[in-house]
Amino acid sequence: MSTVESPDTNAPKILIITTIASSYTGANTVGQARAQYAPNTYIMRVPDPVMFPEDFYLRCFEKGFSGIIIMSSGSDCPYEGAYGRLSARVGRVYLTMREKGIPTNRLKLTTVCTVCKHAFLKEIDDMQKVVREQAA
Amino acid sequence: MSNLEPNEPHVGVYICHCGGNISDVIDVKRVATELGLHPNVVISREFPFMCSDAGQKLVIEDIRSGKINRVVIAACSPMLHELTFRKTLQRAALNPFLYEHVNIREQASWVHKGDHEGATQKAIRLARAGVEKILLQDELEEIQAKATKHVLVIGGGPAGLKAALNMAARNLRVTLVEKSSRLGGHLHELDTLYPSGESASALLAKLLAQVNESPLITVVVGTTVTAWDGFVGNFTATLSSGATVNAGAVIMATGYDHVIPAGGEYNYGGDPRVTTLPKLIEHLKTSAGKPLVWNGVPVKSVAFIHCVGSRQTEGVHAPQADGKVNDYCSRVCCTAALHSINVLKARQPDLDIYDLYRDIRTYGRGHEAIYEQASKNGVLFFRFTEDAQPEIREHTVVVKDILTWGEEVEIPADLVVLVTGIKQGAVGELIDMMKLPVSSDRFLQEAHPKLRPVEVANNGFFLAGNCQAPMDLVESSAAAGAAASKIAALLSKDYIPLDPYVARIDSEKCTGCEACIPECSYTGALFMNEGTKKAEVNAALCKGCGACVAVCAPRALDLAGWSIAQMEAMVDAMVTEVPA
Amino acid sequence: MKYDTLVIGAGIAGLQAALDLAEQGRQVVLVEKNPSIGGRMISLSKVYPTLDCASCITTPRMASVAHHPNITTLTYTEVKQVIAQPDGTYHAHISKKPRFIEEDKCIGCKRCEEVCPVYIRDDFEHNLGAKKAISIPFTNAIPQFPVLTPDQCTWCGACANACPVDCIDYLQEPRDIFVEVGAVLVATGFELTPFNAKPQYGGGVLPNVITSLQGERLLAPHGPFGRVLRPSDGKVPDSIAFVQCAGSRDASLGVPYCSRVCCMYAIKQAMLLSGSLPTADITIYYMDIRAFGKGYEAFYQNAKAMGINFVKAKVGRIRAGEDGNVFLRIERQEESSQPEEMNHDLVILSLGMKPQWNPKTLAWDMETDLDGFVKSPDAPMDPATTTCAGVYACGTATGPKDIVDTIIEAGNAAMVVGNHLARGNA
Repeated sequence: MSTVESPDTNAPKILIITTIASSYTGANTVGQARAQYAPNTYIMRVPDPVMFPEDFYLRCFEKGFSGIIIMSSGSDCPYEGAYGRLSARVGRVYLTMREKGIPTNRLKLTTVCTVCKHAFLKEIDDMQKVVREQAA
Repeated sequence: MSNLEPNEPHVGVYICHCGGNISDVIDVKRVATELGLHPNVVISREFPFMCSDAGQKLVIEDIRSGKINRVVIAACSPMLHELTFRKTLQRAALNPFLYEHVNIREQASWVHKGDHEGATQKAIRLARAGVEKILLQDELEEIQAKATKHVLVIGGGPAGLKAALNMAARNLRVTLVEKSSRLGGHLHELDTLYPSGESASALLAKLLAQVNESPLITVVVGTTVTAWDGFVGNFTATLSSGATVNAGAVIMATGYDHVIPAGGEYNYGGDPRVTTLPKLIEHLKTSAGKPLVWNGVPVKSVAFIHCVGSRQTEGVHAPQADGKVNDYCSRVCCTAALHSINVLKARQPDLDIYDLYRDIRTYGRGHEAIYEQASKNGVLFFRFTEDAQPEIREHTVVVKDILTWGEEVEIPADLVVLVTGIKQGAVGELIDMMKLPVSSDRFLQEAHPKLRPVEVANNGFFLAGNCQAPMDLVESSAAAGAAASKIAALLSKDYIPLDPYVARIDSEKCTGCEACIPECSYTGALFMNEGTKKAEVNAALCKGCGACVAVCAPRALDLAGWSIAQMEAMVDAMVTEVPA
Repeated sequence: MKYDTLVIGAGIAGLQAALDLAEQGRQVVLVEKNPSIGGRMISLSKVYPTLDCASCITTPRMASVAHHPNITTLTYTEVKQVIAQPDGTYHAHISKKPRFIEEDKCIGCKRCEEVCPVYIRDDFEHNLGAKKAISIPFTNAIPQFPVLTPDQCTWCGACANACPVDCIDYLQEPRDIFVEVGAVLVATGFELTPFNAKPQYGGGVLPNVITSLQGERLLAPHGPFGRVLRPSDGKVPDSIAFVQCAGSRDASLGVPYCSRVCCMYAIKQAMLLSGSLPTADITIYYMDIRAFGKGYEAFYQNAKAMGINFVKAKVGRIRAGEDGNVFLRIERQEESSQPEEMNHDLVILSLGMKPQWNPKTLAWDMETDLDGFVKSPDAPMDPATTTCAGVYACGTATGPKDIVDTIIEAGNAAMVVGNHLARGNA
């Protein structure tokens, strides 16, 4: 088997938190369409990112993730009140990040639906730029 | 072979080639070899098609041989085959939740075609994360709630009657509670029904006969629900009679009230020539075939004014009792008014009828023909806008008609019929007692207009008819049938199966700080135990969003199958370097 | 094969009814003539009045149906004949069309599609895009099997060579399936009223006059162009018009009835357009705005507040303007009646609904009403009943209706079918 050595192998890693209801399927849609993005992206699927305590995100940064994209279901969220709670929580994570001197653009809360192919790729693109700039 | 104690997790890892779909990009041999180095992984294989019979057989044999008691398969998306492999585990008599599906196709090989090394490393990390997750996984069991095969229907109008009949047809016992003294609701008021023209009384008589004949339906009239307890599968309602009803589910079929024009709107209440459509229909019902006489005076001309109490605008219309205007469309009034107009015209062809409207909304099957018939009958239509309401004068109505380019037209009218809308009935006490969600239009709120249009977010509550939104008889009947359909499924077994992915609490760790309680959006799902002063979860009511988990400082709360410890272990695996 | 119920049509009505019946423990055979389940709804952009993504609501339903142990789904199959039996049951003859692949082998990998050299019009995109002569019908299709279009295939053999599981079968023939069922549910849905019904509107002739379903695809997040542009030259339109009642409320077209959904979908598309093209002028030419459902009036008022122009006018004629633009000759029904000619970049005809399928093509005595839709003789109390005992109908098979009303009717139909089966008539 031929392998192509990639300059991206040791690229800074991005964690993508997706929801079962929306964005995880969205990520599959991107695959079904064979759109391409870099493999330094790790997709985690959960019922809803509202479950994560604030320190979870900080721990991810500590352990070695350079960027985190939370792809929530937004208004398509099947859980009552979850999106409001999530965005408030992420707001508090930003405060802590600021205190700790972690650039806040390394964490992004966004909404991706089951067919939001372009939005998915754009979010990854944007975060790639952020983590590259900071690695440089 | 392995140094693991028998009770420790022994993981089998399987990497699928997907016939080249994965293996052309990802070095599956290397992934399998790398995963085999994990201390808990006792088997690590790659295989052309894991979903094939041969692939599944491989897993079953490995489980049956006693070598493994946890399974990780790295293949396509779990949306495709997670269920397939859970069933495979079941066939091998292993708890199906001891399985983790890792997506290395849609989210790896298909999207990293040009970077084989990167994709392979990613696959190794994702598969390792799968192993870490499954190591911390419990044997989840489906939660089962008691299913009381008895349904409470609140409201004895056509929707309630229809719902009760439907459920009785499935051998479910029904208690039908009606607060007034008789069944039938607003069907009593109606004369003939559009578009068929059949008699409302005859239809009601037929419905009531069917209800009376059913041995499974208990009717209680003149009765209200005064207290409420329990949850899906096992509710207890206390009735005003003192009796209690034990029910597995409840259908709200509480209907609607007519809007009464507020504060002298269009001189209603002051001018005897001004009435409402429901009153005209009542009159038509009791004066079959006769020419129209109102307050002893023969009527030569009638003006209908639409959208009274509907489609209101703040600042233009007087607010309702709660201070808000009715900004919604009442859906049924356009066709109901035009149907009555045609009935009048059939009786009295020389009657002059003027119809003052904003938009004619004859949307339903057969409705447009009623509108056309009215036009053919010589009804004159005038269109007004919300900010220029028609004005009632002594013998006339004045309307600024935009169909004639805003000209002010004076219409003779012996009788003015206000086409009044409909509003939520007097169900405030029920809403408070049952903690039911309400929409901004004050009607009861469904869980989701498309995914769950007749269900309330609170498990076990269903909606039928006008308590949810204005609808006509066809639509109410359909809603009643749809609600009954959901209950027929819910109560089809002796228990109600519930998703195991709910919040769990370790009471040893719970400090009783109560931080989690306000995070929960679902009434009764998470509460403080007064005795132990610790939080408790009612699995039957928890929806598994995990909002409570995030705020639990001592980490006593977790979502079954999605614990924070599992997620952290996955993160650690994802960032662990892979040897080149 | 024996089943409790045959459901004809796997759009949102058939999907919901099949799921409800299956959840009640009934065995369902669900027959869909298209290669994927999901019906019209899966091709929509977002849905009113919540602006939920249509795919996000439909996909989980499709998956639940596909995985349900009590549902057998037959896609790319057509019901040829349904024959009533003396005992009240039905025998159905179903024909499976050839996809030219062996479904039990195919892994949905798209290798065949990647190597196929022939591009054909993409019917899922309503001809706004192209696809390969062998291709999976659309991204989230279920099942993920490709279909070979024999009329346009050059039989070059590239797909057969590329297939890793050797599942291409160029000689595949239609296959007959016979089922015995206790009841039949017709959920055959709608099609748009003909695009060219009013030749004076230029439908099918003027490239920048498009159908409302093409409008949906333009706005879909996974649509043909990935953004809104007009078909003739790819220009991003600055001025877009909707022509309401373009196929409905017009006895001369044989569609005297109101199609019930066009006002709301036009308002929705207008709102989505104004979201993606904030500077564009959007006008809706209408007769009456029928925003009658729950939350619909507020949705309409929001659209007005957003600056969408609502003009009560009759559109007489649509003709080609300059540079691909479109001229609409209108007669206002308010303020002034002077005929005016309006210039727009793109025009969407709000076409109505007509029945997708005429049940009379089958040998049974199920009647249709004057409007051509399946007759519901027992409405208002039993809207799912037809003139055939043991045969029921729901959704747009019984007249135009929106998704909410369709899903509710499907639930009701499942109840009524279940009642029929429980009575032991089957």
